[in-house]
Amino acid sequence: MTAAARLRGVTRRFGAVTALGEVDFELAPGEIHGLLGENGAGKTTLARILAGLLAPDAGGVEIGGRSVALRSAREARALGVAMVHQHFSLVPRFTGLENIALFNAGAWTGRGTEAPDYRALVRARARELKLEVELDAPVAGLGVGERQRIEVLKALMSETGVLLLDEPTAVLAPREVEGLFAVLRRVAEAGTGIVLVAHKLDEVLAVADRVTVLRRGRRVLTEEAGKVTAAGLAEAMVGEPVGRPGREHPPGRGPRGLEPEPVATLEGVTVRSGGTPLLRDVDLAVRPGEILGIAGVDGNGQRTLAAVLAGIRTPDKGTATLPREVGWIPQDRGEEGLVNDFTIIENVAFALHGKAAYRRGPWFDWAGVEETAGSLMREMDVRAESPETTAGTLSGGNQQRVVAGREFLRSAEMLVAESPTRGLDVKATVAVRARIAGLATTPSAGAREHQTTRRPPAAPKRPPGIVLISADLDEILELSHRIAVMVRGRLIPVPRDRHTRTAIGELMLGAQQGGGPR
Amino acid sequence: MNRTLTPVLTATAALAATLAVAAALLALGGHSPGAVFAALLRGAFGTWDRFFSFTLVRATPLLLTGLAVALAFKARVWNIGAEGQLHAGALAGVAVAILLPVHSPLLVLPATLAAAAAAGALWAAVPAAMKTRMGVGEVITTLLMNFVAVFLAQFLVQGPLQEPRGVFNQTDEIPLAARLPALLPDTRLHLGFLLGIVIAVALWLYLTRTPGGFRLRAVGASPRAAEVSGRFRAGPVVWLAFLTSGAIAGLAGWIQVAGVTHRMYEGLSPGWGYTAIAVALLARLNPLAVVVTAIVFGALSAGGGAMQREAGVPEVWVRGIEALVILAVLTVDRSWQVLAGGGSRD
Repeated sequence: MTAAARLRGVTRRFGAVTALGEVDFELAPGEIHGLLGENGAGKTTLARILAGLLAPDAGGVEIGGRSVALRSAREARALGVAMVHQHFSLVPRFTGLENIALFNAGAWTGRGTEAPDYRALVRARARELKLEVELDAPVAGLGVGERQRIEVLKALMSETGVLLLDEPTAVLAPREVEGLFAVLRRVAEAGTGIVLVAHKLDEVLAVADRVTVLRRGRRVLTEEAGKVTAAGLAEAMVGEPVGRPGREHPPGRGPRGLEPEPVATLEGVTVRSGGTPLLRDVDLAVRPGEILGIAGVDGNGQRTLAAVLAGIRTPDKGTATLPREVGWIPQDRGEEGLVNDFTIIENVAFALHGKAAYRRGPWFDWAGVEETAGSLMREMDVRAESPETTAGTLSGGNQQRVVAGREFLRSAEMLVAESPTRGLDVKATVAVRARIAGLATTPSAGAREHQTTRRPPAAPKRPPGIVLISADLDEILELSHRIAVMVRGRLIPVPRDRHTRTAIGELMLGAQQGGGPR
Repeated sequence: MNRTLTPVLTATAALAATLAVAAALLALGGHSPGAVFAALLRGAFGTWDRFFSFTLVRATPLLLTGLAVALAFKARVWNIGAEGQLHAGALAGVAVAILLPVHSPLLVLPATLAAAAAAGALWAAVPAAMKTRMGVGEVITTLLMNFVAVFLAQFLVQGPLQEPRGVFNQTDEIPLAARLPALLPDTRLHLGFLLGIVIAVALWLYLTRTPGGFRLRAVGASPRAAEVSGRFRAGPVVWLAFLTSGAIAGLAGWIQVAGVTHRMYEGLSPGWGYTAIAVALLARLNPLAVVVTAIVFGALSAGGGAMQREAGVPEVWVRGIEALVILAVLTVDRSWQVLAGGGSRD
């Protein structure tokens, strides 16, 4: 049988780093092939080479049995290769139909002028794939799941032999993940080979026919999904046995007895943006030593809530009582958590530039900052040549370690963690979750571990309260003492007896009738 | 690649590319590039006097406006208005010098310098307010403010500030007390050049060694990251960059009058505020490097006259070379990025 796609001894370097080293990879027609690996293992690089976005330095690429030298995504597209990117590539102001037409050669005739039969064609294809898509609204107003379905439909409008999906489930609610997988199975049955780049081992094992594991640019394993376990895969990814993510840190009991003073409270907080409410009448109290999990599908007001808690967004109505300093791991590390052109030292300085301890007269104590950055790198296991390395050259996982490390460093009474393990590999996920759980149980854990530095930030007297905002239900369930769900700007507390995937999943999709209990 | 060496290499490459293109164009025009460049070099560096009295004197306004532009650009404030701020500063300095009823240089010099800086800052405050309060792009507003300043200067030297005898469109000579003393005996080099160096060093220390400078660079790199990761507002930093930039450009105008022309007239500046953009970009916005690039441009200007006299090449060629430098810097920068590694890794 001819392979849908094949790589032979493919090598790709970026500067001194070998992202892929002599990798062989085969994708059979009609199979779903899970591609696993730690951050920086080369998964995305492999997918981008197949999609024609990167040229290999050595080795050969075959599509549909023919040896090809792809020079652009357009060429790959012409050969039937389509890719759904981690960050969607849709024009926000265009409708779903316009986006689909734009991408498919020959179908684009200008805005609002698509041939009527093209609309019918798109509708028919959507029906065939059982994809529910909104074709006539600007995609900017659609939810992440809806946008992704448009992206998938866009990729499948013409003959597609190879479909590449880069971490498609990271942004979806559990039910949406099931929906996506059902679509992928139908697509595969029709003969398309699918490469699924992913982090969540359970998900991959649930849907994939075969899995390939990359480690530091090398292929270490290719096996049928039925013959491997999640533990085995995790071990292959890291090269050593690891605990299952988070399991080492079972959810603690909620604070008992005397309720301590909250570190932060929100009362009736409403935030609007040009008339559209982003937060509606949110009440919230964060107590020291607790982890408050906030679940929800992306785009339901979590970002605004985080900005209010961090003190950079003032409520339009209601009151926010906040501690002096708040640690905040923002969701978008590339745009908000880091400056890519800055060194690790400079990025760490974001937490220290206002502290008297890092000032000598008028001068910023860069030597002190560098020392702190160095110990942060050791502690968070940041893999980089030196603290002088620019953040943009780090892999996603290492970038997140820098951001998380820096926010742990703030002598915070409260930590807001937005999807802190998104895009992280198994090992880093375990480390970050352990750190969050540890912070909540130990008074001033973050500050104490930094007493190796010359001038540790003043330690708070009680453990920080932690707000964990995540679309990853497993993460929420494993770490949280209390759980609330955000739906369309409202915050709905979930009673302890309903802390289950199903119950929370239903709430996330807005299944409850309006308002809900406070 | 080394963080210190790369900018030097790219700037040198840009200059080399500029000279190569200029040489080709000169050859096409029937001139001998070698002879032309030799004349230019003699004009700029031929004697100590050429160097101090021409190259460095002409570098001074470029140094100050170049620093003004570099600081603003560093904060991602696209101040194209150094030309206008320069005129505002010159006018304010002249007005204070003529109208102030004191004659001690110890009082007059600081007062005029302060007035010039304040006027430049005020001129920059208009686009700063429009940007921070209304979100109006500063590229257009700073540029348009230039015309306002230039025409205002024309009006003033024809009217209220015109010399009493009313012959030329120029002001009276400023009193001796308001003139900048010479820096070296028997040359025309004045204290303004030293002031430029001091400001360059101060800006460099500020940007690299202070928390405020770090915040300014952060806003320039990513205003959103500054707010989210640095927990400070970009607005005040933008204001600071705008006002300081305007103040330095304002000083440039007055220092030219106080050190060289001793009066204000129409067409005081041949477009230093615009050439400053090339000076700053070639220096990759590094204040210390601006000292070097300003001298390079000062040399071009000083050598231009000699080029015309000795090699018969019109002086406008120098303006062409200045424009080529901007193009070359942008091209070299982009090529460098492409060469240094096609894409990110993840």
